[in-house]
Amino acid sequence: MFAQLIQDPQKINYIENPVKPPPIDGWGQLEKLGSTFDHVDGLFYFTYAVCIFCFVLITGVLLFACVKYRRKTYDQPAASNVTHNTPLEVLWTVVPLIVVMVMFAWGFKGSLDMTIIPQEASRNMYKATARQWNWTFTYPNSPTQSIGELWLEVDKPAGFLLESMDVLHAFFIPAMRAKRDVIPGRYQTLWFNPVEKGDYHLFCAEYCGQDHSRMYAQVHVVSAEEFAKKPWDTWPENPTPEEAAKGGEKIYKAICSSCHTLDGSKGIGPSWKGLFVKGADGSITGGQREVIEDGKKQTITVNEAYIIESVQKPDQKKAVGFENVSMAVQPIDEKRIKGIIEFMKRETK
Amino acid sequence: MTTNVPTVDRQQLEPAPRKTFWNCSTGFWSWAGTLDHKRIGIMYLVGVSVAFLCGGVFALLVRLHLWNPHGMLFSNESYNQIFTLHGAFMVFLFIIPAIPASLGNLVLPLQLGAKDVALPRLNLLSFYLWLGGAVLATLSIVLGGFDTGWTFYAPYSLYTDKAVVSIGLGIFLLGFSSIFTGLNFIVTTHKLRAPGLTWFRMPLFIWALYATAILQVLATPVLGITVLLVAFERLYHVGIFDPRLGGDPVLFEHFFWFYSHPAVYIMVLPAFGIISEMVTVHSRKPLFGYKLIAFSSLAIAIISFLVWGHHMFTSGQSTYALFAFSFLTFFVAIPTAIKEFSWVATVWKGSIALNSPMLYTLAFLIIFAIGGLTGVILGALNVDIHLHDTYFVVAHFHYVMMGSIALAFFAGLHHWWPKVFGVMYNETLAKIAAVTIFVGFNATFIPQFIMGSRGMPRRYATYVPDYINYHRASTIGAMIIGLGMALMVYYLVASLLQGKKAMQNQWGGVTLEWHTPTPPPLENFDKPPVMVGEVYDYSKLDLESTRTPAS
Repeated sequence: MFAQLIQDPQKINYIENPVKPPPIDGWGQLEKLGSTFDHVDGLFYFTYAVCIFCFVLITGVLLFACVKYRRKTYDQPAASNVTHNTPLEVLWTVVPLIVVMVMFAWGFKGSLDMTIIPQEASRNMYKATARQWNWTFTYPNSPTQSIGELWLEVDKPAGFLLESMDVLHAFFIPAMRAKRDVIPGRYQTLWFNPVEKGDYHLFCAEYCGQDHSRMYAQVHVVSAEEFAKKPWDTWPENPTPEEAAKGGEKIYKAICSSCHTLDGSKGIGPSWKGLFVKGADGSITGGQREVIEDGKKQTITVNEAYIIESVQKPDQKKAVGFENVSMAVQPIDEKRIKGIIEFMKRETK
Repeated sequence: MTTNVPTVDRQQLEPAPRKTFWNCSTGFWSWAGTLDHKRIGIMYLVGVSVAFLCGGVFALLVRLHLWNPHGMLFSNESYNQIFTLHGAFMVFLFIIPAIPASLGNLVLPLQLGAKDVALPRLNLLSFYLWLGGAVLATLSIVLGGFDTGWTFYAPYSLYTDKAVVSIGLGIFLLGFSSIFTGLNFIVTTHKLRAPGLTWFRMPLFIWALYATAILQVLATPVLGITVLLVAFERLYHVGIFDPRLGGDPVLFEHFFWFYSHPAVYIMVLPAFGIISEMVTVHSRKPLFGYKLIAFSSLAIAIISFLVWGHHMFTSGQSTYALFAFSFLTFFVAIPTAIKEFSWVATVWKGSIALNSPMLYTLAFLIIFAIGGLTGVILGALNVDIHLHDTYFVVAHFHYVMMGSIALAFFAGLHHWWPKVFGVMYNETLAKIAAVTIFVGFNATFIPQFIMGSRGMPRRYATYVPDYINYHRASTIGAMIIGLGMALMVYYLVASLLQGKKAMQNQWGGVTLEWHTPTPPPLENFDKPPVMVGEVYDYSKLDLESTRTPAS
């Protein structure tokens, strides 16, 4: 443990997003509401006002008493020895009871609104897949996906089916007042109606291990026209190697980099250094790698097929030294894996 | 343990010192094998103080790290271990045992007019279980690491390569220590009250410890079972919580909070008891609404068993469960509000001495008002969905745990310090420290309320730069608390080395512990006390005893 204490601080590795969300600002204590859940803000500020009233009352009485009834001589008796005042005691039992029952009813009604998914939202279901430590989003009525970024159509209620591939996570968009734990082994649901265009933070709110704080995604709420262009589906039809490598780099940073390093240092999974090697003439060929297949150790020459297999069936050939590490199957299609391979080749030195 | 330190001075001054529990016997085994509740209490006090200071250092490291959005000191992995250490030390090693096991052990038999607790050997066993659990937990943290948060939620706690099993064993031992202390206090309260000390003449600290003891005995076994199940699952792959084996991680949350919510009241009820004592003694006025406060302790103890689900409002519980848990949660607010108002009414028109225990008490009353009221905000179902697992929750429970419980502990410590040690600390420094801690505390946690309601999730090693100003304000506040704590350690230790003698009855208390010489003899009272009249009757106060130095 103490060896780790002297490591260099890690750099944040959020995806390089094209747009930065506006800073959280405003006069209210909550940030500006982006969804229709205004009852959250309403009850929050009501309770807040009650709190401030009680706080000022208690503190005021205490401070006043401390000034007025301060003991000046060592034998000064109390100014009064009253031990009961039934009307007062009834008052401070009944009034708080009424106030908290109002809060309860208000809050419960609001929670019904948040948990019961309306029909429009259930026809517009996204899937959010959480894993250590990134988010993948699948779009409604379309097999397309995006990683670390989510696009939503403004004024169209969005439903979410949440699934976790490993441990507990929580899907949290503060501006939408939307939160739900994502639990492995069961599906969770959530909905909200994004009514304000803009860019928002999406956090993981349930502690999920090492890079919990980096499990971040950005939400873009855009107009219907812009949404129809599928801005998340940016993979070109026939990418040049540079374009493919650039796309691969983005995927690497969003997903792969939490376990695989490029420089040969030890990560949770094997480093990518040496997967491809540069010959004396500058040509790039597959490197050698020791793997275990069906319990047998063998040395293979890395090629595209091996990389694709490693993403789609990670347990088929396991790198020596990482036999006990299990990589989750990643939802990356073949053209994107080819992008990653181009990125690996580009990084070969 | 510095057994003879406070007595050295006295022996030089007085040729034949009175026999107290400090000097009645000497040597290592007179402490390590002692059956005296006061010596066991002192050993607990040293233990929990060390745990508290360690936990405090971890907290400062956490705050320093968060000075920068990218983190300043640690890798993410190390940060996770540090915040887990902070939580685990503070919860399991400090707050749960702090008041009952240290101050409770010191004061409960004295206030009951008893020679000792009913089961002295069990008391010693409880201390050694605590020590064993603490050593085991600390060793496994240092050697194996621990990064699951103090809640060790499944399935992460099942997959992580850290030393979860041995920590669990440590917590198991700590749990039994807590159960034994609780059992002991229940029996002592029932059987060893002095003649005339009827239930409604008991000091409210005893009522609070009694309600706490019931919770300790009933709730702690569930924690024991839960950590055993986690250990079984890790060692033998029994599918209880792991969804890959057909288990259910939400079941873990239910088990965990079934203990850990009552545990919140195991922590806070003794603090309420201390504050009840403080407001009456230092206002020299009978407690307002004695019976209501006593019954509200029991009411809180009972309701606290029925609200654990409010830690899981976002976990996808059924609507009916949400309804019930939120409804009952709001009910806890009522007895709590009754207590707060009764304390304020006690101070009103009293004869208020603004000494250091009272300053801590006033700080408690103000901070607990905020801590309790923000709890009401979190009890509302729809608002909690937004605030759950953010810094708002972090700030709320620090207002209750650190701001209220730890400050009540300090109030009690300063209050009974002259009684137990027979020496007085430097009051001026003590007042400065109390104000410093109060200011630093609010500077630390008010920014956390704001950033939490604006969405900053908890347990983050790095954060989006939008929150930087709140984090920096919070870090500065934490450093101020650190200064106040350092000052407190200094003047308390200094008082042991060269403190002035305390008065026989330093504060003018009228409960039984002030009716025996200071510091008390080995068996507490020279002749068995008899309780006459009401408990907080200050017309009986012998004012001379507040100006007579301890013998």
